[in-house]
Formats: sequence, structure tokens, C-alpha cells
Amino acid sequence: MAIVENNDAEVSNDELVQRFPGEPITHDNAAHYRGRLRRQLLINRCDDCKVWHAPPKPVCPDCWSSSVTATPVSGDGTIFMMVLLHQGPPAPGVDYSTPYPVVTVELDEQVGLRFTATVADAINDQIEIGKRVRLDWRERSGSPMPVFVLTGEDR
Amino acid sequence: MSVRRGMKDQVAIAGASTTGFVAHNLERTHASLAAQACIDVIRKCGLTAADVDGLCGSWPNVEILQSALGLPAITWSGNPVIPLVDHFATAAAAVHAGLCEVALVYHAAYRSAWNTSSSLKDPFRRIATPGLTDPHPGPETVAGAVGYTAWASRYMYEYGMTSEDFGLVAINGRTNAARNPAAAKRDPITMDDYLDSRMIRWPLRLLDMDVPVDGGDAFIITTAERARDLALPAVLINAAVLGQVRHNEEDQTESLRHHGQQVVIDTLKRKGDFWIDDIDVYFPYDGFTPITLNWIENAGWCKPGEAGDFLREHWDAASGRALINGRIPINPHGGSLSEGATQASGHVREAVHQLQGVAGDRQVPDARRALITAGGFFFNAQGLMLHRT
Repeated sequence: MAIVENNDAEVSNDELVQRFPGEPITHDNAAHYRGRLRRQLLINRCDDCKVWHAPPKPVCPDCWSSSVTATPVSGDGTIFMMVLLHQGPPAPGVDYSTPYPVVTVELDEQVGLRFTATVADAINDQIEIGKRVRLDWRERSGSPMPVFVLTGEDR
Repeated sequence: MSVRRGMKDQVAIAGASTTGFVAHNLERTHASLAAQACIDVIRKCGLTAADVDGLCGSWPNVEILQSALGLPAITWSGNPVIPLVDHFATAAAAVHAGLCEVALVYHAAYRSAWNTSSSLKDPFRRIATPGLTDPHPGPETVAGAVGYTAWASRYMYEYGMTSEDFGLVAINGRTNAARNPAAAKRDPITMDDYLDSRMIRWPLRLLDMDVPVDGGDAFIITTAERARDLALPAVLINAAVLGQVRHNEEDQTESLRHHGQQVVIDTLKRKGDFWIDDIDVYFPYDGFTPITLNWIENAGWCKPGEAGDFLREHWDAASGRALINGRIPINPHGGSLSEGATQASGHVREAVHQLQGVAGDRQVPDARRALITAGGFFFNAQGLMLHRT
């Protein structure tokens, strides 16, 4: 499997797990989390058939190539579905007294390719399925966390 | 896809027993709840511990339950993954293949420390809850139960589903549960009660979700031939399926028209001997209300997006519940919304009781055929067709 170059060597598996407490990090998705440390949203893409797939898998589910690379996406997309959590697991900076939005966004790269995160800097009434978003980053426990923000450019 | 039907009507559910389910903490373990239901069903079928040579359930693990029940020797066992149609299908296949002859199938629900604050305060329940003290990921996910809420939002967006549509499922369950002594929640509710219930994860409320419970169910699965010699009427397994498609993660699932449920329905239609117009009682899963609506549509009772209208059209105002074509009740035991997280063991138990004619004042007159569509959308859609000949 191709390894994303950059500063990977600087972050050991031990450190990676420590930087993202509770996240289910595996050999198959570690590159995605290393990308987060660089504020890059990486989604697996097949080097051979070029199909994107999420969440990370050890082989390409479309052509069974084992040459899959965690590849940056634009982070542009459209809200596909949404939840407002009136309660949920404890997390730094999350106050459920205002319901916490979680959205699944269909990414522009490929039909059906989706990523789930929160929406930052929006009042909940503004968050709707079909609205356009772009990727941004916030801090969670000292590590970058991908979020979406509304672009206001709905098509 | 395959149309092999080697097991059709060759294996039977010979009996079903329950402890009943309660929405509070009993001072009991999974093993205690499962053992009680197991002892009851073995006796009810006129069997003994020595007759049981297969063991298959959710919790506890089979070796713990075998030891607790003192089953002298078993030749096959398994702990498949919930919901329970997996256990019925696997045990039936084991019986059919000759790995065992009399399989005891069980499920115990136990209010884990995740479920309620009272459970979290209970030191034994904290110990019994794996991973409780592990660090957990943040809330930025729709994996697990949240997934049904996310798809509920999509249901509303694509088809104009409303909270009232979801609420009809909740009301139907409670009305039915009033006549089920095994149910944890038996007070009837109105649409206002539903709409006033606490929002947990918009767009779903407290009354859209099954309740955390303590309780257990148990079943005897054996050959149709042997079942005919036992104490209760044999309920034959006509078809069973565990349906799944490739995009089975909650946020990658293709659509409400393309997930495990479609595989279940297509397979049951091909492999079973009857279909929805022929059944007497219907059991769509209801761990979350949108699951029920989606099953009703995907099973072909009505068109996509019309399940709410379908329930209104078939609503029996006098009794406050749905009766399809004035005749077919939906989850007459109250479903998981009323019995709690039975993982469909309750749906199957009630189907068996209805077909055996022992469902008390819930009894559907001369019920002969039941359809169970268990589980949700992603990796756990299941189907079971049962009948009495």
C-alpha cells in the first residue's frame, strides 16, 4: 500500500494514538489520521481504477488492487443528511445545551462518497440537507479536527 | 442469486418462552435471565437438559449458559451477531445439517452502563459493560444508533416524511403492548404524547427509540419431524435470510431504496411459499421508528415514502392501532418500542405464540402465517417466514 509522503516519519503509531484518544486507528486508516495532523482530509483512492472509497479499506473494493493511496480531497460538498444531538458522548468544547450538529456530506469528488463531521460557526436553523459546505479545521484536545462550514453558495 | 431452498419447512420452532422485559435494573445477570427463559421453554416442550445438543444465543456466551444449565453434552454451539434472526437461521441450518438435533436459542437483554444513569451507578453493571473506561471518540459520527437518526433526516428530505409519520409507529406499538404482560412499557400514548417527548437526536425523540431493558427469551429449534412429537404445535421455518449490500457503513449506505432490506425482501419472495397478502400477522423491526416505515415500503405494502399514509389508511380508530386490510396487526406484542431491545427475539417469540395459538388476548384468530422483517438498514437486515401447516 502506498504511503503518503510528508512528515509521516515524525509521528510514530504510539504518538498518533495519543493524539487522537478513542479514535479507532488501524493499519488501514492511520494515513487518514496522519493527514489530519497536517490539516489534510485524506480519503482512500485506488491508484489503478481511480475510484475513491470511504472509510479506508485495505484493498480497492471495485478492482481489488492493493495499491490504494490516502489522497487529499477538496473538502467541498453538499449536506446529505444531518442530526442535531441533544445529548451525546462527552467531548471537549461540545455543549449539548445547544444541540450539536453532525452532518454527512457528499463530497464533490464522487457520487456516494461521503464524510461525516460537525458544522462549525452556524446556527442550527441554517443547517439543512442540500446546502453547500467546505472543509475547515478546528482543534480538539490539541489535534486538528475536520469540520464543515456553510458556504452560502447553494446551487 | 441462489434459489436453493433445501431447509424449507424441514426445521421448526417448537416453543418460545420469555421472562418478560422491564425498564429497570433487576439484580440479575444475562446468564440468570437467559437461564430462566431456557428452563421454561425446555419444560414447556416436554424436553430435558439431556435432549439439548445445540446451543446458540446472544448473551451470555454459550459456555457460560451451558454450565449454568448443566446441559450434559452439546455437539454444536454458536454466538452469532444480533439481531436474532441470525441465531434462528444458524441454529436451523445446524439442525438441518445434522450438527445437532435440538438447539436451544436464547437472548438476554441487560441494561448496560452505557444505557442509563442508574446502570452507570451500578458497580456490577459497570464491570459487565466492556470498554466502559476506554477513551471514546467524539460525537462527530453517524456510526451505530445515530445512523438511524441521520437517515430519518434523509427520509424527511427526500419523501416529505413527518414526525407524525414516525409517531404512528410509536402509538401502534404502545396500543398493542397494553395487552402484552411481557412488555416493559404498556401505557397507551397519544400523538401529543409522542410529539411532546424529549428530543434526543433531532429528528428523533425518546418515543422513537426502543427502551433499555432487562429480560430474556428462549426457543427450541428442532427438525419438523421431531417437533411434531413435542408438546406444542410446530412452527415451520419457511424461509430465512440475512441481507446485506456492499455499502453497509451508516454514512456510505446508498439510499433508503438500496440497503440490506431490499436483499431480504427479494430473497424471501423467491424462497418462501407465501407473501404479504397471505400472512396473518406482520413483524417489522422497530428499534427506531423510521426502520418500521422503511420496512413497510420495501416489503411492498405501499410505495416509497407512503408508509405514514399507509398506516393512516389502515388505522383502526376504535382500537388505536394499525390493522392492515382490517385484519393484519403490526407487532401485536408492542415491538421493541414497548418490550425494549429484544433484538427481534420478541418479534419471533410473539410470532411463534401467535402461530401456536397461545397469544392470550392478543391472539389473531387462526393465525397461520407470519412475516418477520428484523433489523435495520446497514449490516443487520434480516427476514424470517414462519407458518403452521
